[in-house]
Amino acid sequence: MNNGAGKRINGGVEEDDDEDDVNGDLDAWERTYTDERSWESLQEDESGMLRPIDNQALYHSQYRRRLRSLSSTAARIQKGLIRYLYIVIDLSKAASEMDFRPSRIAVIAKHVEAFIREFFYQNPLSQVGIVTIKDGVANCLTEIGGSPESHINALMKKLDCSGDSSLQNALDLVDGYLNQIPSYGHREVLVLYSALSTCDPGDIMETIQKCRKSKIRCSVIGLSAEMFICKHLCQETGGTYSVALDESHFKELILEHAPPPPAIAEFAVANLIKMGFPQRAAEGSISICSCHKEAKVGAGYTCPRCKARACELPTECRVCGLTLVSSPHLARSYHHLFPIAPFDEVPPSHLNDPIRKQKRNCFGCQQNVLDSGNKPGLAVVCPKCKRYFCLDCDIYIHESLHNCPGCDSFRHSKAATAKED
Amino acid sequence: MKFLIEDVTVYFPYDHIYPEQYSYMIELKRALDAKGHCLLEMPTGTGKTIALLSLITSYSFSRPQSPIKLIYCTRTVHEMEKTLAELTLLHNYQIKHLGPQARILAIGLSSRKNLCVNPTVVAAENRDSVDAGCRKLTASWVRAMAAENPDVDTCEFFENYEKAASSAVLPPGVYTLQELRAFGKEKGWCPYFLARHMVQVANVVVYSYQYLLDPKVAGIISKEMQKESVVVFDEAHNIDNVCIEALSVSIRRQTLEGATRNLDRISREIDGFKATDASRLRAEYNRLVEGLALRGNLPIADNWLSNPALPDDILKEAVPGNIRKAEHFLHVLRRLVQYLSGRLDTENVEKESPVGFVSSISSHAGIDQKTLKFCYDRLHSLMLTLEITDTDEFLHIQTICDFATLVGTYGRGFSIIIEPFDERMPSMPDPILQLSCHDASLAIKPVFDRFQSVVITSGTLSPIDLFPRLLDFHPVVSRSFKMSLTRDCICPMVLTRGSDQLPVSTKFDMRSDPGVVRNYGKLLLEMVSVVPDGIVCFFVSYSYMDGIINTWNDTGILKDIMQHKLVFIETQDVVETTLALDNYRRACDCGRGAVFFSVARGKVAEGIDFDRHYGRLVIMFGVPFQYTLSKILLARLEYLRDTFQIKEGDFLTFDALRQAAQCVGRVIRSKADYGMMIFADKRYSRHDKRSKLPSWILSHLQEANLNLSTDMALHIAREFLRKMAQPYDKTGSSDRKTLLSQEDLEKMGDGSMHEMLY
Repeated sequence: MNNGAGKRINGGVEEDDDEDDVNGDLDAWERTYTDERSWESLQEDESGMLRPIDNQALYHSQYRRRLRSLSSTAARIQKGLIRYLYIVIDLSKAASEMDFRPSRIAVIAKHVEAFIREFFYQNPLSQVGIVTIKDGVANCLTEIGGSPESHINALMKKLDCSGDSSLQNALDLVDGYLNQIPSYGHREVLVLYSALSTCDPGDIMETIQKCRKSKIRCSVIGLSAEMFICKHLCQETGGTYSVALDESHFKELILEHAPPPPAIAEFAVANLIKMGFPQRAAEGSISICSCHKEAKVGAGYTCPRCKARACELPTECRVCGLTLVSSPHLARSYHHLFPIAPFDEVPPSHLNDPIRKQKRNCFGCQQNVLDSGNKPGLAVVCPKCKRYFCLDCDIYIHESLHNCPGCDSFRHSKAATAKED
Repeated sequence: MKFLIEDVTVYFPYDHIYPEQYSYMIELKRALDAKGHCLLEMPTGTGKTIALLSLITSYSFSRPQSPIKLIYCTRTVHEMEKTLAELTLLHNYQIKHLGPQARILAIGLSSRKNLCVNPTVVAAENRDSVDAGCRKLTASWVRAMAAENPDVDTCEFFENYEKAASSAVLPPGVYTLQELRAFGKEKGWCPYFLARHMVQVANVVVYSYQYLLDPKVAGIISKEMQKESVVVFDEAHNIDNVCIEALSVSIRRQTLEGATRNLDRISREIDGFKATDASRLRAEYNRLVEGLALRGNLPIADNWLSNPALPDDILKEAVPGNIRKAEHFLHVLRRLVQYLSGRLDTENVEKESPVGFVSSISSHAGIDQKTLKFCYDRLHSLMLTLEITDTDEFLHIQTICDFATLVGTYGRGFSIIIEPFDERMPSMPDPILQLSCHDASLAIKPVFDRFQSVVITSGTLSPIDLFPRLLDFHPVVSRSFKMSLTRDCICPMVLTRGSDQLPVSTKFDMRSDPGVVRNYGKLLLEMVSVVPDGIVCFFVSYSYMDGIINTWNDTGILKDIMQHKLVFIETQDVVETTLALDNYRRACDCGRGAVFFSVARGKVAEGIDFDRHYGRLVIMFGVPFQYTLSKILLARLEYLRDTFQIKEGDFLTFDALRQAAQCVGRVIRSKADYGMMIFADKRYSRHDKRSKLPSWILSHLQEANLNLSTDMALHIAREFLRKMAQPYDKTGSSDRKTLLSQEDLEKMGDGSMHEMLY
């Protein structure tokens, strides 16, 4: 093997050592083959020339398909806005593999962090907990709660991987926790699964049925290949199953789970929930914080019922158990209930149509939707106001803005003209 | 949907059709028009069966003045059931659209074991005992006895069936085996005899290969089939072997001992008859004088055995005088058995032609060729006369007579090989005398001659020009179809080197090299860590598999494999293998993952599907050549070279590659499925080997995947599995349509259709 020689040449270079340890059984040239895949970003065109892959159109079509599938089911469907989500992270040996750079687990951790933040941004009334699987045992890393920081901190501390993975143990554990939550909450599990097998102590089919009975929606994101049992689990419990192609795809997949899923019919009964809207304490006031158990100076929130201090919102009051939210949180959840309709794609021929010439600019950014060289690019049109938008604006409107500028300005001008009259 | 193929309106029960099904139907229709035979290769999972059935039935409807009969031959009962289920679907659709004129009668015919409804008979454990149990209740003399003596048992179902006589008919419809049994139970008629009777009038008959190819059975069941029939052999890639086995006999010590016991019993019976009912024997003698062809005076229902010798002219000759008398015949048989057991006492391997063997019999035992030729019929007649019903006891003597008749009939295409012990275990004396047939065309020739069109179809018939030579016929159409796929869901790879870049092969001089064994182990070890659920491995032989698994066990590779997946092994024991398969499936279902070690040419390679997650990867370790030192194979090769001018190497490669293709084809059973195939041997990269793979594999075998080492294969596997896990569009994109609707078919003129298909 070449490793010895390689080390001698590299002399005292420190960083090389850990790489050698992990890849100890691979030759140097094999490493280049498995690690740096420079050729992956190239593709051949019709004339046999190599060019960088043009992913934009591909990604956009994928995005549109997703949007359509979401909207077709969710046109006016009740959404579960109060979600109780357990993120199950597989920390078995397979998670330490290096096919994602630098390693699967590092990629997972990075995007789980982003996901948790996005999740709370989109679902301010929901709560998250983290469960890890390691050495065939499932552990609860953080209890279910509403503070993104505490979850992220806890996760970052424990990222070493070893042993086998057991889906059944994880599901059993989560099932036990989720059974205690109030009935208005939506129970969900998101499994990030690196391993390709599961070593279970019993019959996993029974566990799946149990999850199904307790209405837990299980979704899985695989990191290596499609597994039958995961697919089966998702089908039975109404979740989604997807496998990540690469890091950016993984990011997309995990962020898909941030918007609230449609509510399960049986739980969709109207329910009144008691909530507190705490006041922000004055700057410079000193009080004992109920979450950190120490005296703190400065901004905090005071529970309207028991006057205990909480550091951040949304959360559950440690003393009286009241759900504490702020009104902007509630308002932010609102758009899920009234999503804007997906825009229709415009056939390129329409763009060159002289009659519609004035519409060639994107209504959002005022850029010309035609590519350089007057080649028609992709464009979309809002089904209501018939304004044209470019792809970037399309994504921005649906994912961040949640309002169609065309429709809004239309309504606005109509109101204005009405006033004038 | 319905559409036109030239002048035939085809009724097809689904809303969409694959383009390859459409072109398959076009070719098939042309063969039917030409009233000739055809050879069609189409990958599994593309709906061969339904394409065949719907075209042939529709063809029959379009020519009501000369309806054709469809005889559909399958290999296993399971396949028969599947075919009948498809036919039921098709029939319902056709009735809906065509009305009553689409009524057909379609039945499946199987052995008594699968059709009998008499609870006492069907309880017996194997096929022969069920047959014998049935005869004990239904033979004509038993029934005659029962008429006088009510204590004698008969089968009520058979009695009812006989009573109903000509009114016992099946109303038109499609009957699966189960429906046939249910119908029989309801009416109180014996489903087996009813089915046998209805075979003559049914429009579609589904049964096993043996009913046409094995001359012993074919003589009874398929004798009166009309000439205007289309015979379909499905999954026919091994049809030459089936033909050869139908005409090969092997005799061991046990056979001879059993035959001696049988002869003793027969002679006791004869003595008994002489004392009580001598007239019966005399009647038989008189009948034999008139010639066997006039056997019409035997009751029809009793002709349960027939003549393995094919040429009709034999039947017209009279039975030779020296075996007309029962006791004389018995003496002849005794001498024959004695002679054979003398031949078995040899120390050396002997090989002889039938002509030499016959002359040696006639000089040593005094039995001439003509006498030998009639042994089978004479025994049959004798057993009828002696009213023997427990035929399963007499299998040994039947084997001997079978042998005698074949030796006496054929001078060419056979050889007789006597081996004193098994090559692999020279210390154990286990003499065996084999009459092996080398010419597959002998058994199938009557089928080609008799029927208007014979369709031979399978997923693996490549190279397609070899089959007509092996079976000695001239197809009017021979085509190989590709599979149209929405995505590249099969990924064949040729792996020539291990992770240390040394070549891997199971070539004789390399197979025991520890480096090769280790490289194979490493390959599997790497693969179990990246492939989910099930992996199937095929080895070239049991002994090689045992050896390599032992080595892996010693070096700890097996233990490492078991950390990722459970390991199951096929053995020669059927029960054990079934259990292993069952547990393998369970391990795949519950997510534990499993590896199945199996052997090319074994039961698993032939009949078990590893579809979906049961087989995401199949690894073929080595090229599954036949055991080239086998005397039988050598004799066959020599015969093929002399008679058909097929080179030894060509035939061996063809045979090995079709087995390999058969093995790897186990993982893809439908288009929605996906799987990888690794051919792990450096010899696969050679063009002469590779080019013999079926075209549907070859078309996916990219140039870049022809010469891989373990790590490269690993990388490709990872990418492939990720890609396949993504959701996809079933109908395919517009430029590469893989599902055609009725409008698509109407829209496309013939020209554009062809362009797209080829």
